[in-house]
Amino acid sequence: MTPMPETIFEMNNVSFRFPDDQSPTLSSISFAIERGERVAISGSSGSGKSTLLYLLNRLYPANCDGIVEGEIHLFSKPADSYAPGEINHRVATVFQDPDSQFCMPTVEEELAFTLENLNTPASEMAERIRHVLDITGLSHLRHVSIQTLSGGMKQRVATSCALVMNPEVLLLDEPISHLDPYTGKEFVLWLDQLQRTFNLTVIAVEHRLDYWGTFFEREIKITSDGRISEDATFEPHEILRYPFRLHSILDETALSATGLSVKMKGNTLLQPVSFHAQKGECIVIAGPNGSGKSTLVKAICGIYKKQAVKFASDPCGYVPQSPEFLFLTSTVLDELAFGGMSSKLELDDLMESLRLTEIKEQNPFSVSHGQKRRVAIGAMLADKRNILFLDEPTSGQDEKALLKLFRLIDSRLDQGDTVFIVTHDMEFAAAVADSIVLLKDGRMTGKFLADRVWQDPELLAAHNLLPPKGVTRRAESFA
Amino acid sequence: MRNLLHDMNPSIKFITVTIVMLGLAFFFNPWTPLLFFFSILVLQLVFSRINWKIWSLFMLPFVIGAFGYLWTTIVFGAETGGTVIWSLFGFDVTDEQLALALSLSFRVLAFSSLSLLFALTTDPVKFVMSLMQQLKLSPKLAYGVLVGYQFLPVLKDEFFQIQQAHRLRGAAVEKFWWQRVLGVRRVIIPMLAGAVRKAERSAFAMEARGFTGEMRKEFFRPVSIKAKDYALSAAILVIFISTSFLGSILSN
Repeated sequence: MTPMPETIFEMNNVSFRFPDDQSPTLSSISFAIERGERVAISGSSGSGKSTLLYLLNRLYPANCDGIVEGEIHLFSKPADSYAPGEINHRVATVFQDPDSQFCMPTVEEELAFTLENLNTPASEMAERIRHVLDITGLSHLRHVSIQTLSGGMKQRVATSCALVMNPEVLLLDEPISHLDPYTGKEFVLWLDQLQRTFNLTVIAVEHRLDYWGTFFEREIKITSDGRISEDATFEPHEILRYPFRLHSILDETALSATGLSVKMKGNTLLQPVSFHAQKGECIVIAGPNGSGKSTLVKAICGIYKKQAVKFASDPCGYVPQSPEFLFLTSTVLDELAFGGMSSKLELDDLMESLRLTEIKEQNPFSVSHGQKRRVAIGAMLADKRNILFLDEPTSGQDEKALLKLFRLIDSRLDQGDTVFIVTHDMEFAAAVADSIVLLKDGRMTGKFLADRVWQDPELLAAHNLLPPKGVTRRAESFA
Repeated sequence: MRNLLHDMNPSIKFITVTIVMLGLAFFFNPWTPLLFFFSILVLQLVFSRINWKIWSLFMLPFVIGAFGYLWTTIVFGAETGGTVIWSLFGFDVTDEQLALALSLSFRVLAFSSLSLLFALTTDPVKFVMSLMQQLKLSPKLAYGVLVGYQFLPVLKDEFFQIQQAHRLRGAAVEKFWWQRVLGVRRVIIPMLAGAVRKAERSAFAMEARGFTGEMRKEFFRPVSIKAKDYALSAAILVIFISTSFLGSILSN
């Protein structure tokens, strides 16, 4: 006999507004969650889905003086009847940024920090730490310094810290958005096991549900104005379909490198690589973490010192993962004009084509992430750097942002610029790339035609990459 | 034996060092700081495993500073009484002047050796934990410091990345050091913007794990006070008292 379903969270016509905002972030939210459910909360960036999560673990409204209307019941008690910290050992949370969830040096001390918060008797702590590390398969990391771990491992440690509290509910705030798809998929499989072991209720906020396969049972969709548009059984997500792109390669060499290598302090970071790039060509640089992708890019752009038998290229522009690292001035217009390489007319044209005209007087630090990237690209192009290197531009982006990025890159390629993209996202690569440079352990495996790489699952797997779903499906339908 | 100073309770060590520092300030003869400096060296040789190479590197600026004090006090010191013991390039150096100069520079050495004794034998994390457990430092402050400590390597990485990005844009070609110092301002702004976001995220992560900032009752690794902590503290105080007596006698 199955046990009676037990409602643990209930929201009744809830709305939420930040004190400084005019319009509510969430409005007329009503739903109930039962014990043991696996629920995904989806929606685009800024739709208030994280806010919804923070109402369930009581981080909000106390931390932002937010104004809540309606009823929130947590474990059949009104939410505001809980003392600070009281709910947090029953409802544990894992956040998205692997780098800012820890306050202690080692894994063991971090777990102990959590147990100390709960006033666990000191005599029980060692055993509980051993137990949770055992179940999560992290025993070998017990005394390891957290800062030395990869992003994927950090997220597992963060999850262990949540589980050591023996929670009833696990809340996940885009836990894999900063991980590469391969690591993300492994994390989901690992989580699947844990959910069964602990019989947890899992509620996750996520905008890239295509990586989660069939993990969830139910999906609540939030619209961009903070309402529930759908609350139904989870259907595996279609992968994001990018428009078809025509090749725009010109018969003009933009960059040619022969025997390019990077040495630093006696270590060879990059073994000699050789390749050419044409104008209008889009090249994706991919490979496992630490394979030398950033080293290659920074060497070509002149940030690192390089050795080369022969190297010739047009000026190269670099757009880091955080584009604001490039910014030097206080308006978008000044940012583009900083290098002083373009005339007024050229700047106007450039801003028009990058849709920066309407924000040209704004501070580049205060615009949206997508706009920041366009400003950074604009600054590079204004300096006549027509070979662009984009470092991880897809990381943490939702579907809408990815489509915009696709169109932006497509339009630059049509203008005859050359674009290099460092990314793990092979769906995105399949949509834009003409060719793929694969790197592993500081060596270049080769520069391949994109279509050739998608036909070779072994080659992809050897570089910790997942085959792009859309392309394989298309290949199957032809067979 | 050679772990004693490293294993000493950090709060007790901190209090002892502070008391001695304050005490040293009252002795104006050159012998007390000099004797104290050498005693501290011996203490470290016997009871610690510090890396003397690092010690020397840290000590170097203080030694230069001490020499600077010595030189300027001798040459530019206000005229005081006493017998002239040395004459050079028209400067008359009196014995009292020399005593004052030596006292000032030896004090620099004594203070810096004591600070280094603390800095090089104390684990920062253990120090904060001990402050929280023995001296009842608020956990909010204590863990705040620890989070900051965890961020240091990340911030260092970011600093270099931003600097690289700026160099690429041709913004970091300043020739003079003061231009470079002013240029740091440009690097700091994006770093601060990122740090504020990180700080908020960390605060949320800690709170979501039940951290309320209240005094905690249970500790995984209690930092205890043992008899040998008092003994070491007493040893440092005895060194201080005996060197101050000896110094006073020698200078008379």
